[in-house]
This record gives sequence, C-alpha cells and structure tokens, in this order.
Amino acid sequence: MKRFKTLCGALALASTVALTLTACGGSGTGSGVPQSGGDLVMARADEATSLLPSVPTDNASIWVIEEIYDTLTVPDQSGKSVQPSLATSWSQSSDKLSWTFKLRKNAKFTNGQAVTSADVKFSIEQNQKSDAPFSFIDTVITKIDTPDPATVVFHTKKPWSPLPADMALYANSIVPKDYAGKSASQFAAHPIGSGPFKFASWSKGSSLKIVKNTGYWRKGTPHLDSVTFTTVPDSNTRATQLASNQIQINEYPSNSSIKSLKAQPNLTVSMFPSSEIDYLSMNVRRAPFDDVDVRKAVSQAIDKKAILKAVYYDHGTLAGGFLSPTTWAHDASIKPVPHDVAAAKATLAKSSHPHGFSTTITISSGSQDASSEAQLVQGDLAKIGIKVKIKTLDPSAISTAKHAGNYDMAFGLYTTDIVDPDEIARFAGTYDGGSNTLYSGYKNSKMDTLAATASSSPDQSARKAAYDQMQQIIADNVPYIPLFYVPGIYSYGKVSGFHPAATGNYFLEKVQLTK
Amino acid sequence: MLRWFARRLLLAIPVIWGVVTISFVMMHLAPGDPARTALGEKASDASVAALRHQWGLDQSLPLQYVSYLRQLVHGDLGTSVYYHAPITSLMAQRLPVTLSLVVLSAILTMLISVPLASRSATHPNGLAALAVRLFNAIVQGAPTFFIGAMLILFLGVRVAIFPAGGYPASIGGRAWALVLPALTIALGTVPIMVRGLRAAMTESYGSEYVAFARSKGLPERPIRYRYVLRNAGISGVSILGIQVGALASGALVIEQVFAIPGMGSMLMTGILNRDYALVQACTLVFGLLVVVVYLGTDLAYARLDPRARLS
Repeated sequence: MKRFKTLCGALALASTVALTLTACGGSGTGSGVPQSGGDLVMARADEATSLLPSVPTDNASIWVIEEIYDTLTVPDQSGKSVQPSLATSWSQSSDKLSWTFKLRKNAKFTNGQAVTSADVKFSIEQNQKSDAPFSFIDTVITKIDTPDPATVVFHTKKPWSPLPADMALYANSIVPKDYAGKSASQFAAHPIGSGPFKFASWSKGSSLKIVKNTGYWRKGTPHLDSVTFTTVPDSNTRATQLASNQIQINEYPSNSSIKSLKAQPNLTVSMFPSSEIDYLSMNVRRAPFDDVDVRKAVSQAIDKKAILKAVYYDHGTLAGGFLSPTTWAHDASIKPVPHDVAAAKATLAKSSHPHGFSTTITISSGSQDASSEAQLVQGDLAKIGIKVKIKTLDPSAISTAKHAGNYDMAFGLYTTDIVDPDEIARFAGTYDGGSNTLYSGYKNSKMDTLAATASSSPDQSARKAAYDQMQQIIADNVPYIPLFYVPGIYSYGKVSGFHPAATGNYFLEKVQLTK
Repeated sequence: MLRWFARRLLLAIPVIWGVVTISFVMMHLAPGDPARTALGEKASDASVAALRHQWGLDQSLPLQYVSYLRQLVHGDLGTSVYYHAPITSLMAQRLPVTLSLVVLSAILTMLISVPLASRSATHPNGLAALAVRLFNAIVQGAPTFFIGAMLILFLGVRVAIFPAGGYPASIGGRAWALVLPALTIALGTVPIMVRGLRAAMTESYGSEYVAFARSKGLPERPIRYRYVLRNAGISGVSILGIQVGALASGALVIEQVFAIPGMGSMLMTGILNRDYALVQACTLVFGLLVVVVYLGTDLAYARLDPRARLS
C-alpha cells in the first residue's frame, strides 16, 4: 500500500507536468448552441455497485439510480426543500401521525406499467428491511396504506416533519411491485424505473449506459438521447480524456489540476454548492481529549486557512456550524475558530495537560491530500507543545477503527442524503445517530432531546431554533472541528444546463450538448 | 518429457494451495470490516451485524477457511460483496482483458527488444549501440506509470492516435485501446530484456561454434538467426517468463492509469473494500497465471535447450 501511495504521488507529479502541457492545446468550443439528442459521456472515478435502490451507499450508484427511477419528491436545486415528482401533493394529518401523498396519474414505468400506490408501498418496504443500509431513514414508518391507486398514507411512530424530504432519498425510489415478477437480482441486472432515462447496458468495470425514456411524464425532457458513464479511476486520465474530447464531463477533477483546466479556453470548471463538510474528529473517550480545553486549544492552534490554501487550493470556505450552509438549518452566526497560537497556548495552559502531550492522527492511505493536511496539523500543534505522530490505515481499516473508537484524532467528511437537516443533525450531532457523534464518542442528552424536538415539530422556526442550539453545543464543546465547506467540482466541455444539486443529483434531463 | 511435465504440474498444486491459504489469512487478519464497508458509515450497528451473519463472518476463522476451501473445490469462487455479482461472471469479463494486455505486452516486448539487442550486439561500439544504452537508461529510470502518463499525453492527446484511456464497446476499439497500456508495460520490461539478450548474443558471437560456422563460410544472417538468436533465446525466455509473472503488480497500476477494466483494477477495488471473496479469487487466478507462465517457460526452455530435459 505504501508503494502504491508513492506511485500515486509520483503520478500526480507526472500528470501535473502533463496537464500543464495540455493546457496549451485542445480543440472545440466551451460555449455553443444547445442541441437536441446526442450521447453525453461522463467519466467518474468510481463505478456503480448496484442499481437496486435499497442496496448501494456509494454516490456512483446513487446518482445513476436518480436518473433511472423517480422518487415521490425530489430535492430542489438549492438543496433546501423538496418539489413534487411522482407525488403531486402531500399533507400531514391533524394528529401529525400520518402523511398522505397523492400520486401523479400519467407516470409509467418503462415496461408500460402505470405507477400506483401498491408500487410505492412495495418500494418503501424494501428499504425498511434490516439489511438495507438506509433502513434507518424509514424506521419511523409503522404502516403504509393504499386506499386507492393514486393515494399512499404513511403512518409514523411520532410526528415526523422530515417525511416529505425522506421520500426524496434515492433508497426510497419507486420500483414496480414485486420487481415486475422478477427476483431482486434479476431486476438489478435489468432495472425498470419511471425516471427520465432507462437502463440500456452495463459493462462492469468499464461503462454504464442509460437511454432517453421517451414516455417520461415530464414532457419535453430529457434532451439527450443517451448518457454513458465511464469508470476512470485516475483523475489525470479523466482530465486528458476531456482535453481530447473523448468525454464531455469530468467528475471531481483533482484540486491541483483545476488551475490548468481553467486555463483551457474550451473547458469550463464549475463549483456547485454541496453539503460536504470536512472535519477533524477527536476521541473524547481518551485522555487528553476528554478535556474540553485541550480540544479548544487544538482548534485554535490549527491554521485552517493555510490548509485550505495548500491542500484545497482555496476551493471551499472555512466552516463554522456543523450543518452545511446548503441547509436552511445552518447557523451563520457560528464563525470558524480563528487561528491564534497565543490563545491556543493559554487555553492549553488551563487544561489537564498544560505543557502538551503526544498523540496520533490517523489518516487514510493513498490520499495525498490527507497526508499534506496531517503534516500541516502536525506542524501547527507542535507550536503549542503537542507532538503528533501520523498513523496511516487504508480506508476500510480507518472506518472500522473510527467506529470502534480506536484512534486519537482522525479526518473525515460527511454529506447529507436528504434535504431535511434531520439526517445529518442526528448523524453528526448525537451519540446514537449512527456515528457516536462523528466517532468522537461525545455524549450529551440535550442533543438527543433537541434532535427529537426538531424532527417532531411542524413549525420550521421552532425546528431552526433547535438546530441552532445543537450547532452551538458542538461549537462550545468541540468533539470535532468542522474544517471546510467543500463544493462539488466538475469540469466539462460542450455541455449546457449541467447544475448538480447540493445533494448531488445530476438532473441530466435538463442537460444538452452544444455545437 | 511427459513425466518431466507431470512432475512440474504436481509441484504446482502445493503452490496454489499456499497462495489460497496465505491470501485467505492475510485478508482476514487485515483490519477492516467488509459489512461496514459495504453498508456505508450511516448504516446502524444492527444492519451491520445482520449482514455479517448473512455472510458467515461471525463464524470462527477455521470454520470460514474450511467452508471457503469446500466452495473452491466445487468450483465456486463466491459472490462479490462490492459488485453484488457472482465472481465467476466478473472474471469472465475481466480475465480476457488482462490476458490480452499480458499477451500484447509480451509481443511488444519481443518486437522491441530483439532488434535493439541484436543491433547493439552486432555493432557494440557503434552509434546505434550507444543510442540503445541511452534509451535503456532513460526508460529504466522512469517509473512505468510516468511513461504511461507521457504516452497518454503525446499519443492520446497531442497526436490523438490512441484513446487517452478507457475501454470502448467495439472489439476493434478495445484492441486499439490496449496498445498504449501494453506498450507501457512492455517498455518496463524492454531494458532488462535488451540487456539480457545483448549479453547472451555477445557471448554467442564470441563462441567457438559461431567461429566454426564462419570458418565454414556461412553468411552472417543464418549465423545470427540459427545459432546466435536461438542460444540467446534461452535467456530471453527466462527473463520474459519472470517479467510476465510480475505483471500482476504491473497490471494493478497500469489498469488504474488507463482505466482498463481488467483483473488488476478489480483486485484493487476488492482490497480497498475488503471484498474477501473477490481478493481471494483474484489472487488465486494471478497465482494460477504465474504457475502456467512458469510451466510454459520451462517447456520453452526444454524445447530450446535439450540439456534442460535431461536435468
């Protein structure tokens, strides 16, 4: 693994040279007249793993699933609310214990079958099974009624405001009842949805093709005839493929290549607001991180601005509150902790370890960014007497170590899958929300109460007040340091109308190739 | 000859068993939970436990080992937890890609090495020999993936003869897409091959049988092909055999760089995702490949040099 990491580093160097050279060449035009039809080729680092909505957790699968299937609701562009999709309207009962959704009547699956409430019930029940990774989103649903083919009623354990947003989750995509008579694995091999595109072919490890659904209920879209997703793990190869017009969209170019890509007149580099937040977690179950003054001192000592510049090439902003600015629950009054070595020393002097200590920071192998980031943190903390040893583990091992609480400090990132703040407030803010408060082990019953209050209240201002308090508690107790709000970055050639949402949805039905 | 071959075939069995056992133990001892990796960070502990039970990961290691061996004996390589597909069907897609890459790179290695070695052996003090030495020094000094990146840049983007990575749907397109990665791998082997062949050819040119052939008045061309190259070929086959055997690690990096969906990139995905069955199957197949290549090398060696059969 060490050898592979070294190879990757050297390759990055080689390719920086390559990209600098390619910046002088290229062909085609970056802007042009949108046209109908054509095959859009998008190169992505990772391959989809499954197209059965209740199975995968990776973005490579999720963002294809969203093109093939419909959900009852769909996130809006900003990621702050949801809009109608298969459901045209929804309402909560007066006792707040059920939600009724009215379905669109002209929606059909690509096998010609009409979309009915029975399909919705079957689909949601698949995601409620215990081995479905996102089953936790639907555990609040106790019963699903289908009084008529165009009406679905979800009964909930308690008043549950996030339900319309939960229904926009990819894992709650609507599939035909009983998988249209197929087994789950047969259906996964040839999926049928009612979305703007339909599945065409999949050559595992190489490419996945979807074609226009001519019977799509939203008339006039999609514009493209087809979309081909190719798997190109190396970001430099994706960049050269874009430069040679082999592909039209390059997903996630490396930060180091963006300057070169921007210099090419034929290409566009766009940064879309995303819900991603990068953080540094501290294990409060272990000394000395059980001391809040130690954690505060670490936060003050780290020069986040310098890391943002050196590692992220200034692509992003310094983070304050742990809820992203792309959600309505973000508290803008919580500012990033300023870099102040003197203040950090003073805070550490008040702590249980006034003269410093030795600790470790666990990073993911193969990530040059994480390695650089850790070295900068190491340098910053050394200035206040904290000696940091960098420990490298591969991604799977680091995930296990974090879940087991077997680490001192570690980097990580999180994104939200639904537009309602509930999911991420519980995941990153509460001990029982799935990550033990972002693996820090920080326990605070007030956080649980606030999360429960926020999800049950029908009043958005009351919810916002609860989320503001949660963000303030994390800022005051620092179990982890939100470092950066990171945008979603894409580079592309002859393409118009490409605007991924904050949740990542591509909305490819709006995209056109240009001449 | 048949007994000689059968003995070597029998010796391969403990080698394969060793590969299977070591890969099993190493994967299971490495930290990381496949169920957690498969379900993602947000899945509940109960979901992870349910999946661990479903996959038999909650059983003891010896029990898992025995059921894995039993499964292998029945020809079942298992199911990939990352790709959610039977490994045999994944192999059917990936193995031909890697084999094509290996064969094409071996052919290119020979096509480049033989003329270069031949030229520098026949004219050891000429300008061409100096150029070959320089070429060897540069190519051997540069890491293979760097050569790959440079080839993509010049032949894939600047001149645009070959695709800059990727693997198209058409058969012709695929063959064309394999040229650059195969050339990259070949260039990694060429310096070693040229050096070995040149030394062997120089030795042959100075041998008594070549002096005898010359004294009989045979022209240089038949001497080169019938005497010199045939004898030098023995060392060439050995080097090529070892290099092809080492392709497992070469394919891993090159397939990533060129986005070629072969065994190397699949193995990498398996390792990162703790896909036990996939990694074990890939290791087994790579192990088998190495054994087959070494057997083939021994056969070719025996064919070229009858003394090898006697030993």
